[in-house]
Amino acid sequence: MKKLIALMLAAVLCMVACVAMAAELKVGVILVGDETEGYTLAHMNGIKAAAQSLGMADNQIVWKYKVPEDQTCYDAALDLVGQGCNVIVSNSYGHQTYMVEAASEYEDVTFVAMTGDFAAISGLSNFKNAFTKIYEARYVSGVVAGMKLAELLSSGELSAEKQPNSFDADGNVKIGYVGAFNYAEVVSGYTAFFLGVRSIVPNVTMEVMYTNSWFDIDKEAATAEALIAKGCVIIGQHADSTGAPAATQKLLDAGNICYSIGYNIDMLPTAPTAALTSPTNEWSVFYTELFSAAMNGEEMPADWAKGFDADAVAITTLGPSCAEGTAEKVAEVEAAIRDGSLKIFDTATFTVGGETVTSAPCDLSFMDYSTMTAIYEGETVEAIVDGAFQESTFRSAPYFALRIDGIVEDAQ
Amino acid sequence: MGESKKTVREPLFRIVKRDGISMTAKVIIRVVAVLLALIADALFIYFVTGLNPLDVYKVMFQGTFSTSMRFMWAMRDLASLLLIGIALAPAFKMRFWNVGAEGQVLMGALATAAVMVYYGGKVPNALLYIAMLVASLFAGALWGFIPGWFRARFSTNETLFTLMMNYVAIQIVACCVNIWRGQASGLGKLNMKTKAGWFPQIMGHRFMINLIVVLVLVFAMYAYLRYSKHGYEIAVVGESENTARYAGINVGKVIIRTMIISGALCGLTGFLIVGGRDQTISTNTAGGDGFTAIIVAWLAKFNTFYMALISFLLIFLSKGAAEIASAYNLNDFASDIIAGMILFFILGSEFFINYRIHRKHSSKEVR
Amino acid sequence: MQNAIELRHITKTFGRVVANHDVSLDVRRGEILSVLGENGSGKTTLMNMIAGIYYPDSGEIYVNGQLAEIRSPKDAYALGIGMVHQHFKLIDVFTACENIALVLDKREKYDLKAIRKKAQAICEKYAFDIDLDQKVYEMSVSQKQTLEIIKMLYRGAEILILDEPTAVLTPQETEKLFAVMRNMRADGKSILIITHKLHEVLSISDRVAILRKGEYAGTVETQGATEAMLTELMVGKKVELNIERPEPINPHLRLSVHNLSVTNAEGVRVLDQLSFEVFSGEILGIAGISGNGQKELLEAIAGLQATEPHSSVVYYPDDDRDSTAEQLIGKNPKAIRDMGVHLSFVPEDRLGMGLVGSMDMVDNMMLKSYGAGHSPIADRKAPRHLAEEIREELAVVTPSIHTPVSRLSGGNVQKVLVGREIAASPSVLMTAYAVRGLDINTSYTIYHLLNEQKKRGVAIIYVGEDLDVLIDLCDRILVLCGGRNNGIVDGRKTTKEEVGLLMTRLQNKGGVA
Repeated sequence: MKKLIALMLAAVLCMVACVAMAAELKVGVILVGDETEGYTLAHMNGIKAAAQSLGMADNQIVWKYKVPEDQTCYDAALDLVGQGCNVIVSNSYGHQTYMVEAASEYEDVTFVAMTGDFAAISGLSNFKNAFTKIYEARYVSGVVAGMKLAELLSSGELSAEKQPNSFDADGNVKIGYVGAFNYAEVVSGYTAFFLGVRSIVPNVTMEVMYTNSWFDIDKEAATAEALIAKGCVIIGQHADSTGAPAATQKLLDAGNICYSIGYNIDMLPTAPTAALTSPTNEWSVFYTELFSAAMNGEEMPADWAKGFDADAVAITTLGPSCAEGTAEKVAEVEAAIRDGSLKIFDTATFTVGGETVTSAPCDLSFMDYSTMTAIYEGETVEAIVDGAFQESTFRSAPYFALRIDGIVEDAQ
Repeated sequence: MGESKKTVREPLFRIVKRDGISMTAKVIIRVVAVLLALIADALFIYFVTGLNPLDVYKVMFQGTFSTSMRFMWAMRDLASLLLIGIALAPAFKMRFWNVGAEGQVLMGALATAAVMVYYGGKVPNALLYIAMLVASLFAGALWGFIPGWFRARFSTNETLFTLMMNYVAIQIVACCVNIWRGQASGLGKLNMKTKAGWFPQIMGHRFMINLIVVLVLVFAMYAYLRYSKHGYEIAVVGESENTARYAGINVGKVIIRTMIISGALCGLTGFLIVGGRDQTISTNTAGGDGFTAIIVAWLAKFNTFYMALISFLLIFLSKGAAEIASAYNLNDFASDIIAGMILFFILGSEFFINYRIHRKHSSKEVR
Repeated sequence: MQNAIELRHITKTFGRVVANHDVSLDVRRGEILSVLGENGSGKTTLMNMIAGIYYPDSGEIYVNGQLAEIRSPKDAYALGIGMVHQHFKLIDVFTACENIALVLDKREKYDLKAIRKKAQAICEKYAFDIDLDQKVYEMSVSQKQTLEIIKMLYRGAEILILDEPTAVLTPQETEKLFAVMRNMRADGKSILIITHKLHEVLSISDRVAILRKGEYAGTVETQGATEAMLTELMVGKKVELNIERPEPINPHLRLSVHNLSVTNAEGVRVLDQLSFEVFSGEILGIAGISGNGQKELLEAIAGLQATEPHSSVVYYPDDDRDSTAEQLIGKNPKAIRDMGVHLSFVPEDRLGMGLVGSMDMVDNMMLKSYGAGHSPIADRKAPRHLAEEIREELAVVTPSIHTPVSRLSGGNVQKVLVGREIAASPSVLMTAYAVRGLDINTSYTIYHLLNEQKKRGVAIIYVGEDLDVLIDLCDRILVLCGGRNNGIVDGRKTTKEEVGLLMTRLQNKGGVA
């Protein structure tokens, strides 16, 4: 009897403890922008959705908006600790060096630097990184673009006679890509997109132009216009504004043959006939895992990276301009990615300098390039395993930085 | 004419300059201004945001005072702003419109950062600090000297010149940051591994040195302007170059010397920001303080003690606004309006300290 | 007869300063009324209220018997009141005619021909001597003043206010102005004139209204009035109006100016091979229409003005000419001071050069001496004593020696400046328009101070504009014309007419007298 009581008591205590812990969870969120900026809005929506699904109260989340990537971030982190937060999330890459400093000082608080790249080698157990496998969604959006391209070519709507500058000397169709910076994150993304297109239309060539900004609506529009002027038929993007789709729509209406693949959000309101789809992150998937792990006292991995397997990435609603059969093809490709039969960076699908890649050593160290020393020593891993480049497996942040044949980067 | 019975139209308000005003009256006017500001703000808060004004004020207050850490951060930010204000004081007192503090701070910060990058860990720490200090003073002084020399030599317009020098400095910093960051997306903290050149922590804060320096300089600059021969020369040159020449002051020399001092102190601010606060450099290192400090210096009429008060007010309001935005999920434009209104009333009260308003007498019947 | 203007109980304060207190006075139709008063007695403030620049705190103004509400110069124009200020309000690059067109009412048509015709008629009626097509920048001061008056008449002014119109005119020009004023009076206009010069008051006006310390002290008929009587009314006590002129004692050469030439920024030669000598214990007057090189002359001697090659200013400390003579040209004020030359200079622009307006008396005392000693800290003890002394001895009216000097009245500012320059125990003292704008009482104080210095053996250069004073005060008078030495006359023997003639007509000989 005593035992039973003891057991029941223990169970009750445990439940109380669990409830207490759920109530105790307080999340601090450090955002580089606010709701007016698409990237941050996506994170905010993800966090709110996760909180709702876990039944968290409003006062369990403390927000810090427009925190720049400097000492302010460290201040914000410490201030959140002071307000009793036990999980602190920052959403911009540049926040991580400040987050790690705070993490080293407050070991009982979990710090998550989204898109960061050295949690695993930082030696701190309370410092985490997370990233989605967005390149998978980019590949699928490339397939959507490829379908459209194939339709244009087969219907004769797009031909060397009608739009001669859309074909290079070898007869390859030109497509374009508006990139923000030349970091691995972008390289990984546009390569996946390009491979997606080429899986449908083999003879394509892609030009990448950088804006050197994550969010610059005018520059992105101007870059898209420049690419279309060069003959590019599809404009992909890895930048956060609606500039490129809007410009593409304008030129489409003006009689050019050009279509847009967006990013983050559905671009159909901006470009009703020019937008085909956008690859997008489902941040709520990660945040739900993070919050529930914290509630349950579980440890999150130092690196979290998931894609279609956890529905952490997706593409938005297909636009009316998409080719017939696109939806079926997309479903087929997504399924193949899920079951592992389709590897995005299959070495059989691309070459570098005309050669098939057999080895791609990746140094995972976090470098201080000003002094050319490693801040955090990481090992050098072989990224080519089983005939494919293993993206986002050795750490969450992308590290695919190969420049494959068929893609031209615009000199900056 | 005795019969002329007409109502005289008198202007409704007339503004009359006050000659002097007692200290009590000044204090009363300021207190009334703050009260009016709080009332006006309360209306805004209640009708526009629907929040309880008293709660909002409490949160605003908490922005600076809720924890000792927040208070120390406010002090740290105040130090940078006030230091630049102090640096500007001699130039402004000389009526040399140095609007180039932003650039002078950046150049000082850049010189500090360069020493950290290239000599960090290679020379003893003490030597490194000295090198950082000297480099920052020199770089800031150079950025002050150039417009000073052109003004003394060719009478160029210093406002435009110093303003343009800001952009040159920003570009140089952007260029260096770009080189140093290498393949990384951002520069991050300098010497993160070795922490070479980072100020030592005193009472748990690296920026404690900044506070000490600014405290010393508040007194030193006050004395320099008020009691030194240099300060006297600066005042005379500022009032009238003709008078200065009449008095036998070498105007060009005073201009150049003062700009070197002003620039060097801005450079020093850059050193303290990099070493004590940021441990890195970006085009945002001065963060607009170079311009805000102009307001600080002006409002205080170059009195460094008033400058400290005004800097504190500005920092308090900005911290309060940020805290309101965070606590109530308000867009920070709304919280900036709340803080801005208080500032508006306090600055507006200066008008009533300097001028008297004559109300219209009840319209009078004449004879 | 109805009065043109009646002021009743006018009071006006600026901060704590009462400029006018309960002033009531009348201006008749067709009269010239002089408004007389010491510096700071509120003359200009009172006039400004009639002209709509200021608005009285209390009291009423009646124009032609009607209670008037004058809130702006526009209201004043509408009532037929026009004021000519000390600083002209003209546009330099416009012609006289175009400047007149500027005062047109909005309703009037801009027709330059018609304007010219009407203006011409005014000129002929009152015998104004002016070329209506001349650009203002080509005009002399007297012509500009004439233009201002025509502007007001064109606008239909029946009541004219002239604020110290003669301060900038030569005697000949003053006579011309007075002739025109008499013509206007004959036409029934009322004229209010502010002037410090008593003999002018007596010669031009019908009545004199006197203000004392902001209050109305009465009006007297000019006929039967004397200078002494007016001064007494103005100051409130009897004042000795004779300027003393002691004989120079043991004069010897102090300053030798030779071949001094200066070209200004516009490339105009403002001083042309000027040569003269100044002796110790004498006052050398410099006469000339303003702008004929007086400013440049003094500044060149003081080391503030770049000179042409071959210019020379040699300073002799004592009788021994050769051993210790010092060349002053090419040295700045500090270098001159460092050589041990005690050169005091009271410049024309008191607050723009001689003093720092925003500083108090103490800080102004140390303007030339602050650099003494090696300490980086400026000594304020000695200047404070000096300030107290000057305040005491020269009766400077100021709330405190820590009041910014710009808040003092013109006369007190001048006392501070002259006091400092004399306290430096100079061997050469240069003054430019030392009594300009000062009331009679203060002027005599200044003359007295100069004479004291003269007795001490100081060589004094006195640049003046009032010929009566120059002739009464100076031992010798150098007349400048077009930047050249147009003759040096003996102050004891010359006449106003002789000096006036030398000021306007360049003599061919040009050289030394």
